[in-house]
Amino acid sequence: MTKFLAVVKHEYKKVVLKWSFLIGTLLLPLLAVGFAIVPAIIFSLKGDPTRIVVIDRDGSIEPRLKANLSSERMAARAREAAERSLKEIAPSQEEQLKRTSQQFTESFIFLPYDFSGMPPDEIRADLTAKILAGEIDAFLIIPANIEDPSSVFEFRSRRAGDIITNDAFRDALNSAVRSQRLAQANISEERVAELSRPIRFDAKGIDERGEDKDSTGIMIASLIIGLMIYITLAIYGQAILGAVVEEKETRIAEILFSSARPFELMMGKLVGVGLAGLTQLSIWVLSAAVLIAFLALQSDLAPLVASVPQISPVMILYFLIFFLLGFFTYAAIFALIGSMVTTVQEGGQFAFPPILLLLVGFYFSFAVMRDPGSSLAFWTSVAPFFAPIVMPVRILAQTPPIWEIGFAILINAAAIAGLVWLTSRVYRVGMLMYGKRATLPEVWKWIRHA
Amino acid sequence: MTTSDITLQVKNVTKRFGDFTAVDDLSFDVRSGRVFGFLGPNGAGKTTTIRMIVGITIPDSGGIDFNGRNISPSLQNGIGYLPEERGLYKKMKVVEQLRYFAALKGMSKAEADKRIDHWLDRMKLGEWKTAKTSDLSKGMQQKIQFISTVLHDPELLILDEPFSGLDPVNVEFMIDVLSEFKTREKTIIFSTHLMETAERLCNDILLINKAKKVVAGSLREVKASYGENLIAFRGTGGNAVLEDRSLISRVVTHSDEQELHLTDGINAQEVLKKLIDAGAVISKFEQVEPSLNDIFIEQVGGQQ
Repeated sequence: MTKFLAVVKHEYKKVVLKWSFLIGTLLLPLLAVGFAIVPAIIFSLKGDPTRIVVIDRDGSIEPRLKANLSSERMAARAREAAERSLKEIAPSQEEQLKRTSQQFTESFIFLPYDFSGMPPDEIRADLTAKILAGEIDAFLIIPANIEDPSSVFEFRSRRAGDIITNDAFRDALNSAVRSQRLAQANISEERVAELSRPIRFDAKGIDERGEDKDSTGIMIASLIIGLMIYITLAIYGQAILGAVVEEKETRIAEILFSSARPFELMMGKLVGVGLAGLTQLSIWVLSAAVLIAFLALQSDLAPLVASVPQISPVMILYFLIFFLLGFFTYAAIFALIGSMVTTVQEGGQFAFPPILLLLVGFYFSFAVMRDPGSSLAFWTSVAPFFAPIVMPVRILAQTPPIWEIGFAILINAAAIAGLVWLTSRVYRVGMLMYGKRATLPEVWKWIRHA
Repeated sequence: MTTSDITLQVKNVTKRFGDFTAVDDLSFDVRSGRVFGFLGPNGAGKTTTIRMIVGITIPDSGGIDFNGRNISPSLQNGIGYLPEERGLYKKMKVVEQLRYFAALKGMSKAEADKRIDHWLDRMKLGEWKTAKTSDLSKGMQQKIQFISTVLHDPELLILDEPFSGLDPVNVEFMIDVLSEFKTREKTIIFSTHLMETAERLCNDILLINKAKKVVAGSLREVKASYGENLIAFRGTGGNAVLEDRSLISRVVTHSDEQELHLTDGINAQEVLKKLIDAGAVISKFEQVEPSLNDIFIEQVGGQQ
């Protein structure tokens, strides 16, 4: 037992004290933080306001446009949009919405321009010259007859790339023109708005306790969990392969085998590297929890957090259990391959089949996300090789009855026992075979005779 | 000789790999406190036998006793094994590496650290303690490997070609270290194909060829049993006698003398008389012990 622990400690330290581990462990959370925060910061940066000249011959549109771009109106619109996607708006978010609309209003400055008596072509040429001279940034020419469907609103801007501002401007103009048309047709604008209000479509999943749960965030969260398990299994599986081949290639195996039982050595390696993987995953999960808690406090990103599904501590426990099941399944396969090949390069070539198996499991998890109750979801989430990825995704999408989870754990534990038995037989012979790669008939013979 | 004098007893051990018999019904004893030379050409079955002794592989039949008990993983801590194929973790620090090997031999960390310092100093490698293995020269790595073999102060030391890759100065140094073990009543099994080194170090020898025992016994006995029919000869004339294959089976010519291998059953006196009768002028005619090299070539070379 002390020798086993010595191997565990050795393998754990070998992985954890590497720079790549440190970088990988810290970099991923940092990248996640970066992706979450940086765009928000960039979008909140204010550009210079756009100086605009509006050519409105009868003067009916410009006041309405200005009113639409006023901060009160913008706030109301933003609020309406937010209400559609969120259930309720917290006071802190209210504040945030106001700030956002303020920004849009301040981004337009309407400049007076005297165009009386000038023909349209001359106006256009003059304003274009002003843009080129840098006196104004944009101009809008409102057509004489807005009722005519073929009439065109000419908007020219130096900043055609500012999509957000242009969109807000177009929306404001659209609604200004619409209200003008309605006024001309003697229809009450309020009445139209009331009647054309969109329905409230409430799409939610129902969990096993009959409670509502938000389904939009689940998809993303499942994908992230599935991807995270897939990546860690692939990385740590290959770490096992590398460690096994190193000991074989450098002939250290001979010294090791003369000091401890091969089974102790192999299990020590699996457990040591597995614990290292668990360490990394725990750091990631923990930092994700901290990140989410931090974001929830930041009003700017609150809508983002609201869509994160509720993940209970029990679920995290399940994820870690299934990660470990997956790790031992694939680590045993990688150790088996490692003891068959002769060099690290050769091992890389033979790493393909288990990686493919992992990938199939990852793809199955998409089907499970779409229909967590199907029989395909049941079978792929209990089957060895696939369950470690599929089951956590399924638990997140729609937690299956506890007996199914227990059944999956049982089947996978049995599969691991079988794989470890198989691998230990190949390992104790293969590790001492130098010179050439073992063929499958040879390996079969080792398994039977070892 | 009582059984308590015997450290290791190999009893009718056979090991097959498929149709190939690597070790065939091999039996021998290794006496405590002695250096046991395990000799044989490449592919004779030496490494396979050693692997069975250290518990890496299991014999198909027969048994191996270490201190009177059947060999088992729990006895591995009493053995130090230096394999012919050497290897260390390239990216690990020297001290970490030695600590790991010590832990695998069941040593506590404090005890291991003490002995690591002692041995690194002894091998003049103290300043390399925290260096990465890959930064060490091949000879230094060899010494580190040796330290890992003796760190747990094993009762039985098994060294497979311990001097390969060492320069002559380091070979002498290692021989010194080994004689220290010998004076401390440790048992050493020493496998090599360098007969001169074996002759210098070994008390007992075992020569195997093609999976079977060929010659065994103390170095003295073995040499004596081959010594009767070897003559160192210097002189001129008597060529007819020298070429008579019924008297002399083989003549090996060295720079200044000849080695006469007498045919079995022929007396040295008889040959001397015949040479004198033939008119040979003799300046040297001496019955000599054969070198281990001669015995090796005679036993192994003839069959190949």
